[in-house]
Amino acid sequence: MKQRSNIRIAICVAVVAVAMAVMDFAAGSFPVDIFRFPVNILTMALWLALLGIVYKQRATSPVARFMFSQSAVWLSFSLVAMVGIVLGLERRPSSDAWIVVAAILFILSHLVLITLRGWRTAQGIRWRFTLLHLGLILALGAGFWGAPDREQLRIAVDREPNDEAYTMSGTPRILDYTLTLEDYDIRLDDSGMPRHYEAVIGIDGTSHAIRVNHPYARTWQEKIYLISLGDEYCILEIVREPWQWLSMAGIVMLIAGAVMMFLGGPRRGGNDKTERV
Amino acid sequence: MMLGWNIFPIVAAIVAVLAVAGAVVALVRKERSGLAMGMMCAAIVAMLAFIITLWLTLQRPPLRTMGETRLWYSFFLLVAGLFTYARWRYRWIMSFSTLLAGVFILINILKPEIHDQGLMPALQSVWFVPHVSVYMFSYALLGCATLLSVVALVSRRSDLNGAIERLLYGGIAFLSIGMLTGSLWAKEAWGAYWSWDAKEAWAAATWGLYLLALHVAPATGKRYDKAYYVVIVLGFLALQMCWYGVNYLPSAAESVHTYNQ
Repeated sequence: MKQRSNIRIAICVAVVAVAMAVMDFAAGSFPVDIFRFPVNILTMALWLALLGIVYKQRATSPVARFMFSQSAVWLSFSLVAMVGIVLGLERRPSSDAWIVVAAILFILSHLVLITLRGWRTAQGIRWRFTLLHLGLILALGAGFWGAPDREQLRIAVDREPNDEAYTMSGTPRILDYTLTLEDYDIRLDDSGMPRHYEAVIGIDGTSHAIRVNHPYARTWQEKIYLISLGDEYCILEIVREPWQWLSMAGIVMLIAGAVMMFLGGPRRGGNDKTERV
Repeated sequence: MMLGWNIFPIVAAIVAVLAVAGAVVALVRKERSGLAMGMMCAAIVAMLAFIITLWLTLQRPPLRTMGETRLWYSFFLLVAGLFTYARWRYRWIMSFSTLLAGVFILINILKPEIHDQGLMPALQSVWFVPHVSVYMFSYALLGCATLLSVVALVSRRSDLNGAIERLLYGGIAFLSIGMLTGSLWAKEAWGAYWSWDAKEAWAAATWGLYLLALHVAPATGKRYDKAYYVVIVLGFLALQMCWYGVNYLPSAAESVHTYNQ
């Protein structure tokens, strides 16, 4: 009975994978832009509600039982590995492919359900488990649901004030502030290799030094990066990412969980292997 | 040529003599040998002294080029082999870790690659040292876990499971920290925590395979589980792709991680 149910689920997964591959060929990349705020929030709320129903039916529904099974663990991590290998082999990898979006949604769904079930036991909160799983949900989820709200613009800046930036696809976008190259410092070593790049940028009259690895945070959701610096001009990249702090929180939780994992090592307990980590 | 790198063949010979002697003593003695551990410690100290000398000579952390990462990998392999021997008393583990470290040392003698003083602006970050050194340490732990898995697979043994799982936990913990510090660095350098660059994609594949191994580890700890050992070996192959194999793929042409070739 259980085997038949697993076969049915495996067929469903295969059908979804084929459908996603067909969508990639027929419709091109996943339409990320239509999920901009507030559509992404509404969709996420709907998805979480659906997961809540699945969680409640974990003892009765075959789909819910599958999501908590060892097969789902295999599928989740195999999907991570497969997505990595496929994108790692591509010359211009696109994480907007339908099949990648479907894989990440499945992994996130599985993670949420497993975390809901395992974050605490009768003995109390399982801190290591919760930090690792909730951290991954936040880091992965913020990247996934926040992707439509992420904006990446490039702008060429010289001695004259400029407010005309371009999206990565080349569409012009007028900024609500102006940028000016006030000063710059390029240092090369004896072999002519760059050793230090720094541009002093005027942003609506105030000066800020920007160099590689040291962007300027203009607002809580926007940072300005130095991409290229030449004689009397520079290329800046403006990244607006409102979900970045959720990602950051997830990454910090994951690091804390990984440290606990190293210190604590393997822990035996319970019959369910998915809850051990 | 830098002074530090000039003396590497001499240091390598000293390290090889000490490590091989330690490994042989460990192999022939039935009990855990203090002499074997002492000689391995001396080999590790010699290697560390060379790394510090190189660091001072280059005036930057020697973590940039492939040759430099191989240096750290050889060092951490010896450390991981000694740790595994001291903790679980497998007499043969130091022979394997010494052999593997020896291969990477030999490659560095035959093909030292670039060892100049420069550190390009992209690598001038507080994340540089923790990111790369933590990764190299995790590679060494996972290398030892892979050696044990291959032995378990070939000889159909299950008594190595405890050591494999311990090494796996340590290795994956450090692998995760390496990857996460890398993503924090990427956000400061390129504006995105994760961009599915070829190297990042292979890092995700490696991570996925090792996490799979961690989650399907034999629950009893004593059961022979072929799939478990195979996944660990596959994880190690993906790790080799992530570390240097990716440089030989067409996708490397578009990669932003091109300063380590």
